[in-house]
Amino acid sequence: MRRPTTITAGVIAAALALTGCAGSADSSGSSGDGSGAVSFVGPEDPAVFAPVIDAFEAAYPDITVDYTQVPFDTYATTLQQRLSAKDDTIDVFAVDQPNLAQIAAQGFLEDLSDLEDEAKAATSAAQFDINIYDGTMYALPVWNSTQMLFYNKDILDAAGIEAPSLNPDERWTWEQVAEAGAQAQAAGIESGLLLEQAEAYYQLQPLIESLGGGSGITGDDMLTADVTTDGWVEAMEWYGGTFESGLSPRGVGGFQTSAVFTDQKTAFFVGGPWDIGGFADADFAWGIAPHPSFDGGEAVTPTGSWSWGVNTASTNKDAARTFLEFVALDAAGNLASTETQTIIPANTEAAAEYLPKLEALGGDNSAGAADLITYEIENTAVARPVSIGYVQFESIINAAIADIRNGSDAMERLTQAQQQIEDAWSQLR
Amino acid sequence: MTSLARGAGTANRRARSRGARSWMRGPAPVALLFLLPALIALIVLRLAPAGVALVDSLYRESLLSGTTFVGLGNYLELFANPDFQNSITVTLLFTVIVNPLQVAAAFLLAVLFTRKAAGSRFWRSLVILPIAVPPAVSAVIWSVIYRPDGLGNGILAVFGIPPQSFLTSPEQSLMSIIVLLSWIGVGYWMMFLIAGINDVPGEYYEAASLDGASAWRQLWTITFPLVRRPLAFVLVADTVSNFLIFAPVQILTKGGPNGSTNLLMYDIFTRAYTFADVNKAQAEVVILVLITIVIVALQFRLLRTED
Repeated sequence: MRRPTTITAGVIAAALALTGCAGSADSSGSSGDGSGAVSFVGPEDPAVFAPVIDAFEAAYPDITVDYTQVPFDTYATTLQQRLSAKDDTIDVFAVDQPNLAQIAAQGFLEDLSDLEDEAKAATSAAQFDINIYDGTMYALPVWNSTQMLFYNKDILDAAGIEAPSLNPDERWTWEQVAEAGAQAQAAGIESGLLLEQAEAYYQLQPLIESLGGGSGITGDDMLTADVTTDGWVEAMEWYGGTFESGLSPRGVGGFQTSAVFTDQKTAFFVGGPWDIGGFADADFAWGIAPHPSFDGGEAVTPTGSWSWGVNTASTNKDAARTFLEFVALDAAGNLASTETQTIIPANTEAAAEYLPKLEALGGDNSAGAADLITYEIENTAVARPVSIGYVQFESIINAAIADIRNGSDAMERLTQAQQQIEDAWSQLR
Repeated sequence: MTSLARGAGTANRRARSRGARSWMRGPAPVALLFLLPALIALIVLRLAPAGVALVDSLYRESLLSGTTFVGLGNYLELFANPDFQNSITVTLLFTVIVNPLQVAAAFLLAVLFTRKAAGSRFWRSLVILPIAVPPAVSAVIWSVIYRPDGLGNGILAVFGIPPQSFLTSPEQSLMSIIVLLSWIGVGYWMMFLIAGINDVPGEYYEAASLDGASAWRQLWTITFPLVRRPLAFVLVADTVSNFLIFAPVQILTKGGPNGSTNLLMYDIFTRAYTFADVNKAQAEVVILVLITIVIVALQFRLLRTED
């Protein structure tokens, strides 16, 4: 998932952190909507949430919201410390979706089961499911993400390649992309294909799932690693091969990949909706197409971003829930949370209003983006697995993906990863 | 300062003869008072965390089943773990290569830049400059140099050398990290050696010249023995700092490819903050400290002079 670039802490953030720790007001006498102050903690720059907080305070004059930023790099650890100390100065906090199970298992997230019906109606199936741990709903999705195929139209035209269709029914296969990419390389372009987060599970999970390899985590307790299935090995062999053959460039890291596309050094690029804004100023013609799948495999796209939940130690739960419901279930509230970010609102109604604006960012190049994103979120999105061991799993798998990218044998490296995950999980039980 | 130290010594002698009460009347309490901030800092920032690490390393904390005492269980599991074994091997290999390399380069540069040559001050400043760059920024700069299509291969191509894989191959990654660290570190260690070389009295060289000793001979029989003390400091301090390397690994390789750059400090970090296995990470900290102590003790022994 994309980390917005605004998460770096600044002086403003520090200043806000000081003023933001005012604590919760009494919950006495509050019935229904609640009143008083709600402390909200998240990893984004305060400017990101200013519009949604203003909108909320206008709608509920009895409640004020104090936002505290904890920078993303220390977010998980800081949250872990404060929540385990039963810190009641946090009422609402942002939950990185793959970490939800770990946080919920420790009892830090309020049970929100009574909102299940409303939540189900407000968002996509994948975004609803990801907030369920052990049969209980613990958070509401606020933001969502997806991925699509970007192509450099000028390069494809010059190489005599017909651009991929925007229609999901005519979705290109990875094999087709590789072939067209190689053709573009033969015509003089440096690389054929590059995936934005080239070493991230988020980005590679759809390839594995497209071949029926599974998420990699199974079992009743979701603590059984299963990363050596045929689908895993085949997908990772194919992926390693794209670097071995020179179709994709090695050694280009996380923040440098989208520049490879804007520098016209790759014909195809797999990226997120945020790239539409990023590529808007490019001085070449580009286009978008559905995220590819394997020949004969299932169409699968990545999804997921941030949910928000209520701290069980909060002393102002009514007001906290009111704020949370406003941001996640109220379309206008949800839309306000994306006012300064290029990120998809998780609320379906808000997304419908937001996506045309996103599409317009890229002009003619990104025509059709809104419908494509809506289709993928509703039909092909597969969320990352919900497990208390996800953090360890992701870190080990990312390292394995990086090694396979650099030439390690897929089967051998995945077997090693399987062992590493089992070792890391042994201390969770 | 000297009178204070002498005074404290007298107080000690008195205390032995007249009992503890007179200790209170001497200058010792004042000395202690002055030392207190440093002592408190030492205890709170150094000894207490070390103690906590040692105690924590004997326990196991689990998300679902609480804390249990496991004795040396964490250590046994670590030594049986192939990733940890690999990390120890990589760290030792790294230590054996990087320290002699950096100290030798720093010494040679120090000798070079103490010669009275045109522009030597200017060149010296250029060598020292990388210290002013934060390690994280250096790592980012070198990530561009080491990219397969980056500056490094561009320069090699000028000399007709085929492109190298640098950080993307297990064979070259550790060496690439060593080169980058030397770029940062050598200038810094050079400064201590320049100070040492400048302290060597000029008469020795004059006398040696009169006796017809060559420049090479002078380097080995005058300069080298007389900068032994700063050299010993540089070697020990460099060794310790190289055991604590973290940022370039985190930014450039994340320990890969295939664990080839998984230095102990990075392994400790991933175990503590990614795997949330703080207890085993603390055990690793204890092991790292022990390794450092053994190697530094060995270095002191090797560098011990007859006097």
